[in-house]
Amino acid sequence: MLSIEHLTKQYKGSNKGVTDLSLHVEPGDIYAFIGHNGAGKTTTLKCVAGIQDYDAGAIRIGGKDLREDPLECKRMFAYLPDNPDVYEYLTGIQYLNFIADVFRVPAGLRRERIQKYGDTFEITPSLGDLISTYSHGMKQKLAILSALVHRPRLLLLDEPFVGLDPKASVILKDMMHEICEDGGAILFSTHVLDVAQRLCNKVAIIREGKLVTSGSMEQVLRQGDSLDGEKSLEDIFMEVAGDVG
Amino acid sequence: MAVLAQMKLLAKLELCNLYGLNVLRFSRDRTAKKRAGAMLAVWMVLAVVLIVYTGGLSYGLVYLGLEKVIPAYLIAISSLLVFFFGMLKAGSALYSREGYEILCALPVTQAAVAGSRFVRMYVENLLPTLAILLPGIAVYAWAVRPGPAFYLAVLLGIWAVPLLPMAGAVLVGALVTGISSRMRHKSLISSALSILAVLAIFYGISRFSHMDGGLHPEQMRKLADTVFSLLGKVYPPAVWLGRALTEGSWGQSLGWAALSLGVFVLVGACVSFRFRQICQSLFGSSARHDYEMGDLKEDTVLRALCRREFKRYFSSTVYLTNTIIGPIMSCLFSGALLFVDLESLTGQLPIAVDVCSLAPFAMVGMLCMMTTTSTSISMEGKNWWIVKSLPLSVKSVLDAKLLMNLLLLLPFYLLSELLMLLALQPGGAELVWMLLLPGVIILFSCVYGLTINLRFPVMDWESEVTVVKQSASAMLGGMGGFLVSIVCLAVFFTAPEAYANILKAILCAGLLFTTFLLYRGNCRKTL
Repeated sequence: MLSIEHLTKQYKGSNKGVTDLSLHVEPGDIYAFIGHNGAGKTTTLKCVAGIQDYDAGAIRIGGKDLREDPLECKRMFAYLPDNPDVYEYLTGIQYLNFIADVFRVPAGLRRERIQKYGDTFEITPSLGDLISTYSHGMKQKLAILSALVHRPRLLLLDEPFVGLDPKASVILKDMMHEICEDGGAILFSTHVLDVAQRLCNKVAIIREGKLVTSGSMEQVLRQGDSLDGEKSLEDIFMEVAGDVG
Repeated sequence: MAVLAQMKLLAKLELCNLYGLNVLRFSRDRTAKKRAGAMLAVWMVLAVVLIVYTGGLSYGLVYLGLEKVIPAYLIAISSLLVFFFGMLKAGSALYSREGYEILCALPVTQAAVAGSRFVRMYVENLLPTLAILLPGIAVYAWAVRPGPAFYLAVLLGIWAVPLLPMAGAVLVGALVTGISSRMRHKSLISSALSILAVLAIFYGISRFSHMDGGLHPEQMRKLADTVFSLLGKVYPPAVWLGRALTEGSWGQSLGWAALSLGVFVLVGACVSFRFRQICQSLFGSSARHDYEMGDLKEDTVLRALCRREFKRYFSSTVYLTNTIIGPIMSCLFSGALLFVDLESLTGQLPIAVDVCSLAPFAMVGMLCMMTTTSTSISMEGKNWWIVKSLPLSVKSVLDAKLLMNLLLLLPFYLLSELLMLLALQPGGAELVWMLLLPGVIILFSCVYGLTINLRFPVMDWESEVTVVKQSASAMLGGMGGFLVSIVCLAVFFTAPEAYANILKAILCAGLLFTTFLLYRGNCRKTL
């Protein structure tokens, strides 16, 4: 579904970025992408989402190259940034309708999906209000709705649980499972390691722009077997990436 | 005292990134640095142009023997500019949301917050004022060789020139913002009130500066007195300070400065008094939470994008007022042609003028005074990620911005044309050119605006004023059509009438070809 090969992105005048990063997300994967602040998680996600250009490497989505066929690639995924800055001058429903128009979702289908997800996230009554009146959590929910309205095959989520209330977090996790059971794939960054451990079947740890470990959750957790007792993702993370100052 | 110390601290914060200087100093991102450098370069070029222009204008006045008029004349020009532009942005600058909530949580008074914003506005206005006044004063000093008292009077009075017009602009801006903050559709009400205020002021100036019967020979002989009397009607303080400077009366100059400062502080105190309430009304929002799902309509991508552009446009007071004044003025200009006795007007001019040939350029110059396309990419700001991550081609995104600007100008263009056709009643080829040339210039100016905005985008802004009024793109891109119209006016004013049709055809073809090249280049860019 998503193949990142030797991705390199360096910011001019800064030593931050991503170097030679390779990652493969298969249909059905919930892939956690973890690392300290400034490790390169958001940069990677932005490169995949086509928001940021990259210096070297290749990104393929559904077998299509992002550089050669960006529009076809973008039709397959939805991206949710860490800070859901959406058009504050639109109402929630206008924003969702706009996204549905761009993805050419038929009127009946968009209504059905918006109703379903809106009710699930308990945001339907607010859809007629301007987004500028929304709280951070409501904007996050709206952004999630806009991602789900066109049923993407790949979800790119940057810190999706930040700002969500506990109930919405549970619903989102259930939805993530649902999407993957239907053959979709999810790559998401998070700092909440126990959520990642319980939710994901695969994990990648990035440190100072370089991938230090990746693979199935079992494989990664097994790396800690040499250590005493059963290890958690947190232990592994602290072991391989925790000494960044 | 504590308020002054707080104000100093906050003003330092407000001023540290004026003209992008802080980014230029500290950014390690070469692209950001390049952009900030380009922006600074644009400002410096504009300052040089202004200095050369006012220097030349002053030299012209010396040549006519009107050197005594120079200070008053330039004070009036700079004051009117400060007032006009200040009025359109005073509300947004003073009641900017930028950092307001952070500052509110700090142990600083509202007066200090408001005061620091006044200081920023003052510095922003002082620099162009000096760029207008200093060259003129230098030319005056070169021509008249005044004594030291003149320089002392200049030193004491010149810094206070922007204060009075700023006080007026802030009063109007605060009044407009204060009234609109109580309404549901704040942006639209605020825009409508600002536009009405501008039109009322234009009307007032035109009434006061009207001279019955034009310049008579008797008046021509006393031209300096005539200019003084005219300036006195439009902006009397300019004459008071101008006379104080030329007479070397430093006492009067100091008194004038003190008076200006007093008025400014008084206005500042009045505005600060209701500062928190207005901010709270403006930033507060009401939500109904009563939406029920109804039928949703499908639309094409272009229409969806274009509708979004219109919603963006009408949501911003400063964006709307800055770009709609020109089109309104073009309609007023065309309407005024219906009531002017063109024959007697052209008869008074020293050379024959073909009004039918020149009027379309004057009309379209106003219509294209500031295009929305020149800032529409920058206006996306922090929302730019949405367009970039959606499956949208560069062409469709840019087409929507272009279409929005063209649709916005269309009713103004049609009305202006209708009024102009009724007034001038052209026939044959003139009729065709009158319709065609403005249309072509409008198309060019919209595409040109997009080209410039793609070259100089400002995405990391925190206040819309930064984009709409202070960005390189707004300066260079917004006035493309206006400048083309000015050049055309000059060309057709001097060109022999026999070549007019050929010249117009060449102009039309040249502009269309340039527009096509710019459009094609834009569509090939990456966003």
